[in-house]
Amino acid sequence: MSSGVKPGRYFVQGDEAIAEGALAAGCRFFAGYPITPSSETSEAMARRLPEVGGVCLQMEDELASIHCIGAAAVAGMKAMTISSGPGISLKLEGLGWGIKNEIPYVVVDVQRAGPSNGVATRVAQGDLYTVRYGSAGGNASLIALSPKSTQEAFDLTIECFNLAEIFRCPVFLLTDETVGHTRELLVIPEESELKIVKRFKPTVPPEKFSMYPLETPEVIRHPFPSIGEGYGICVSPYTHNSKGYASTAQDVQEKMAKRLVYKVTAHLDMLTRVENQMMADAEYAVVAYGGDARPALAAVEMARAQGLKVGFFRPVIVWPFPDGEVLKVAEKVKKILVCELNIDGQLVREVERASKGKAEVYHFGSGGVEPHLPSQIFNELRRLFK
Amino acid sequence: MSTVGDTLNLIHPLVAKYLRRERMPHMACPGCGIGQVVHATLMAVDELGLTPQDTVWVQGVGCSSRITYSTWVGDNVDAHHGRMFAVATGLKMSRPDMNFICFTGDGDCGAIGGNHFIHACRRNLDVTAILFNNGIYGMTGGQVAPTSPLGAVTTTTPYGNIEDPFDMCKMAVAAGASYVARWRSTDFRQIANSVKKGVQTKGLAFIEVLLQCPTNFGRYVLKTSNPQEVVKWIKQQTVSIKDAEKLSPEEKKGKILYGEFLHQTDRPGIVERYQQLLKQHQKE
Amino acid sequence: MTTTIIKDFCKGCGFCIANCPKKVYDLSNEMNKKGYRLPRPVRIEDCTECGLCDMYCPDFAILLEKTKKKEKSKEKEGR
Repeated sequence: MSSGVKPGRYFVQGDEAIAEGALAAGCRFFAGYPITPSSETSEAMARRLPEVGGVCLQMEDELASIHCIGAAAVAGMKAMTISSGPGISLKLEGLGWGIKNEIPYVVVDVQRAGPSNGVATRVAQGDLYTVRYGSAGGNASLIALSPKSTQEAFDLTIECFNLAEIFRCPVFLLTDETVGHTRELLVIPEESELKIVKRFKPTVPPEKFSMYPLETPEVIRHPFPSIGEGYGICVSPYTHNSKGYASTAQDVQEKMAKRLVYKVTAHLDMLTRVENQMMADAEYAVVAYGGDARPALAAVEMARAQGLKVGFFRPVIVWPFPDGEVLKVAEKVKKILVCELNIDGQLVREVERASKGKAEVYHFGSGGVEPHLPSQIFNELRRLFK
Repeated sequence: MSTVGDTLNLIHPLVAKYLRRERMPHMACPGCGIGQVVHATLMAVDELGLTPQDTVWVQGVGCSSRITYSTWVGDNVDAHHGRMFAVATGLKMSRPDMNFICFTGDGDCGAIGGNHFIHACRRNLDVTAILFNNGIYGMTGGQVAPTSPLGAVTTTTPYGNIEDPFDMCKMAVAAGASYVARWRSTDFRQIANSVKKGVQTKGLAFIEVLLQCPTNFGRYVLKTSNPQEVVKWIKQQTVSIKDAEKLSPEEKKGKILYGEFLHQTDRPGIVERYQQLLKQHQKE
Repeated sequence: MTTTIIKDFCKGCGFCIANCPKKVYDLSNEMNKKGYRLPRPVRIEDCTECGLCDMYCPDFAILLEKTKKKEKSKEKEGR
């Protein structure tokens, strides 16, 4: 199957780059429900997927979309859906089906101002904890990546699909309205330069294959047979044993929970991706992600121009949270300023936790609608770091 | 010599061919009608020549689904409560070449799953859906269902149900399904024939079966746990479409019609329309 | 016709007993492992091989082996 994307230089929105990234990764099934500020991706998929022989459906609601793509993945497709805060809330139960049955697919959250319907057309960053902890029942370790630009929206979407196959789980692309709606350069490389992970298929006959490897919780790249391949697969929302038969036994629940958590936490080396800029001699650090990242980076450059020894840190894979990398920053600097577009404090809590008290951590939050201006962050820096 | 035999060496031919031996006997209560409908469905599967390689069983949550899930020897895809039709859409649109027999219940289809049911009919999705309508929420212990009769005493309507029941066959017809029928659990041959017709008809086949739940509906609503009594009661509520033509409006009042309501073979559905869309727009 | 009740599949619902047009089945004194009282075909000579008991059984617990029809068709050939 060819990638379906044409190499070249394009001037597009982040939302459209996500669509191209999905196609490049081999996504051939999309189901969604229109919700600002994600609809541009759905519209792009509706135009592009039929061109490459894929299926694109607008479902009747958010819940239908997530269940539909989970099913498409069970039927062998690489599948994706997209939404924003209120829609992600609706999808959380369906996400549980994907988590429980170890189904690879991608869910994109283009964050907007909240809570509730909030401001549909404007940015915020209120869903960091939702994507990680929102699906009830715990007993999972979710993976989420967050781009800062149109180019990263393309690149990280491909990465999301790859990680979904490797870890056989739903993966989030946690982006926001600023990145989604900013129009800038996208470079699509030659097909030979794209690194795509294909679906792993069993190499042993059905009687020897373990659909859910509860006995080996840390194994990754585990095969995922589809319907119609002779494996008699059983997919169910209930706690189930290795074959997929529903079980109420305590040891099955325990093994299943460990499988879903350890398969991710045992491979943190593969799931650490951060950006460090000007950190080598930094005495202070600014942490930000997504649509607030480049304003924060600009503020750090302004500070450097004034002689302040400030560095910039950004988690690219936000879940699992890069505890080790944050601790390295905390051990180096005296104070950390965490910038994010929420008032309740989400990224700051993670940075505080991971810093283990080695540095003072400060929150520069905002309700959203606009990302921070570099000057706002710079002024806050000056105020705090005198 | 007629005998009562040990399970080890004996197996029903339909179980041997189509069901997972280690999952039998299935978890239905004694006298539950679901087993009878599964039996009739397997008769249809056998007569049509469907195989575990080309046919998937899809279900939701409730007795309908717990009993049918992981019973079929082929692939089983059990969705969250109410989402069976959304899952069936994803499966069928990805694998239009395969057959999907979908099981759902009165709550799964008519309450939490109502929206997906309506749109699956509207899209005329080419799958066969069998609704197990026992008039109550059995799996969770006997709460009222959208199909419970007016006045029914259940665990959540201790003073009697004040809502009218939902006619899901009418909804299926209105929303655009291609084949719609309703039977009682003891209409074995008719159920099997309907499943066959449903599989062979392009578009959504919706087959509702009114069946006995002796454990919850029987005990709470009818004050009997005798399966025979519940079956008898169901039969008393129903009248065939043919017989109803001879009845006056007063005689028909409160009766549930059963039979084949609709069979149209010329209404295109989303599956074939999407194939046509690809023919026009696919570039590679 | 031979009919066999598969012991551990039977849940004692009584459909076969209540619905056989020829009243072939009756309740026996035997119980299976789960405590269900099993039916037993006691008037097998009256069986017309209608197959209703098999279809009425929700648990696939009745095994039928038709014999009469084969004999009947042999009779037809003989004429």
